[in-house]
Amino acid sequence: MVLELDHLSKRYGGTEALRDLTLHVPAGSVYGLLGPNGSGKTTTLGIALGVLNPSGGTVRWFGQALSAGSKRRVGALLETPNFYPYLSARQNLQVAAEVKRADARRIDEVLETVGLLGRQHDAFQSFSLGMKQRLALASTLLGQPEVLVLDEPTNGLDPQGIAEVRTLVQRLAAEGKTIILASHLLDEIEKVCTHVAVLQRGQLRAAGPVRDILTSADRVVLRPGPATTPAALTQALARLPWVSDVQAEADGCLSAVLTSEQHPAALNEALFSQGIILAGLELRHRSLETQFLALTS
Amino acid sequence: MLFRAELRKLLPYRTVWILLVLYAVLLAGFVGMSGGAVINGKPMGSSLYAFPGVWSRLAYVASYFNLLLGILLIILITDEFQFRTFRQQVLDGLSRAELIQGKLGIAAGLAVYATLVVLGIGLFFGLTRGPEAAPGAVTAELGAVALYAVQALGYLSLAALLAFALRKSGLAILAFMLYGWVAEPLVRSQVPDSLDRFFPGKLLSALTPTPGQELLDTVTGPSGALLPTQALPVALAYVAFFWLLSYLLLRRDL
Repeated sequence: MVLELDHLSKRYGGTEALRDLTLHVPAGSVYGLLGPNGSGKTTTLGIALGVLNPSGGTVRWFGQALSAGSKRRVGALLETPNFYPYLSARQNLQVAAEVKRADARRIDEVLETVGLLGRQHDAFQSFSLGMKQRLALASTLLGQPEVLVLDEPTNGLDPQGIAEVRTLVQRLAAEGKTIILASHLLDEIEKVCTHVAVLQRGQLRAAGPVRDILTSADRVVLRPGPATTPAALTQALARLPWVSDVQAEADGCLSAVLTSEQHPAALNEALFSQGIILAGLELRHRSLETQFLALTS
Repeated sequence: MLFRAELRKLLPYRTVWILLVLYAVLLAGFVGMSGGAVINGKPMGSSLYAFPGVWSRLAYVASYFNLLLGILLIILITDEFQFRTFRQQVLDGLSRAELIQGKLGIAAGLAVYATLVVLGIGLFFGLTRGPEAAPGAVTAELGAVALYAVQALGYLSLAALLAFALRKSGLAILAFMLYGWVAEPLVRSQVPDSLDRFFPGKLLSALTPTPGQELLDTVTGPSGALLPTQALPVALAYVAFFWLLSYLLLRRDL
């Protein structure tokens, strides 16, 4: 495991920002932290990286307690790009390189990667939000970290910038880096992550490989044949213990969830043996969005 | 690494240069003009710049300009909170103790700068406007300048503590001025003289006593302040205490 968070909690006065959060990030994963604004994503990462003090719980990086050494193996962008406004992009990265003890010769390379080499001598305060965000990404890459922690990395970027960040994340993941990505944008998580944890009001709602979280929520949509009434179909489904959550859909269709061992073909067979003939049977992959809304509603 | 990072932040920062130049120009201007002051119908003239007394007079005058250095340090520290760069530097691998060390380094640097300015001004006016110095007189009372250096570091440490505690520049600068001018004198007026002299403001100002204090004492009675040499170890203890407290305050969330 790259990062192990165990039983983290955080209180701000009377507010409980984080409640008994346990999360393990495997090496090589692209781990998405998903949740609405204020759900505790930044608090979780702030505690993981030592800028916030937990009210309870433990943090371990690479199997050890958080230290300067472990932090230098991690590149982190938390919430906002944090730089000196009066310094240029290059000067800011020079400061960051000193702090990270990174090779200053990497500065050109990372500026090139995020497309800011041409603006390197301009003051940070003259940058647009998107450029600031890209400079922050450049800074995280300076020390050639094994792990990247990116909190809302596409904040303020235009569609092209978002696509570029996505490509960058995918490229870094392909290089074997572990990436922890916090976002409230489902699309972003769904497109790049291998794992996801869903947070709501400081509590973990679900965590695991994206595939598991999504397939557990796949639904089959059943269209009854002309000789079958929806009521008869509902009754037949009720007799099958591995079918749950039967819901009416548009056009007289029904949808239901199967346990993970069962396939649509088995459902078709079981219904046919009860004299029910279907006009259509379709497996509908649930989007992360629907799953997310289901988890957090 | 740590101090090189600090220099990379400081050198391109215009505010730093403005305040450093202001400190030197205002102090030199004040010293230059006071030669023309007239007391009891007699111009002060060259006697003011005579070695070795010029050092203690200069140290006393310079103590009023510590405010500028304190404001500069407050700006440099509160900037880091405002820009969230302290937070970023902890994310990037620095410990809170290292953040404190960086700023302690800056405070020491500012105290050295102030000392060099005082030495420069003293030498310039002493040699160009003072009466011819007796052998050895130029360096005779340089101890006064060393005491001023400790005093500057003391005020800077207090400024740093307020900046780390309040995290906002306006608030910290206001607190820094109100502490010295209002809060401490008010509290001191309520405590007995034996305690009064150990308050930070009074103790630090005891390092650079008013020129001719002995004469004043005979007229107004003793001021109750410690002798500079007595105040020195306590002042250094305050410096250590202020930075320790700053470190404890920085352990809060960033």
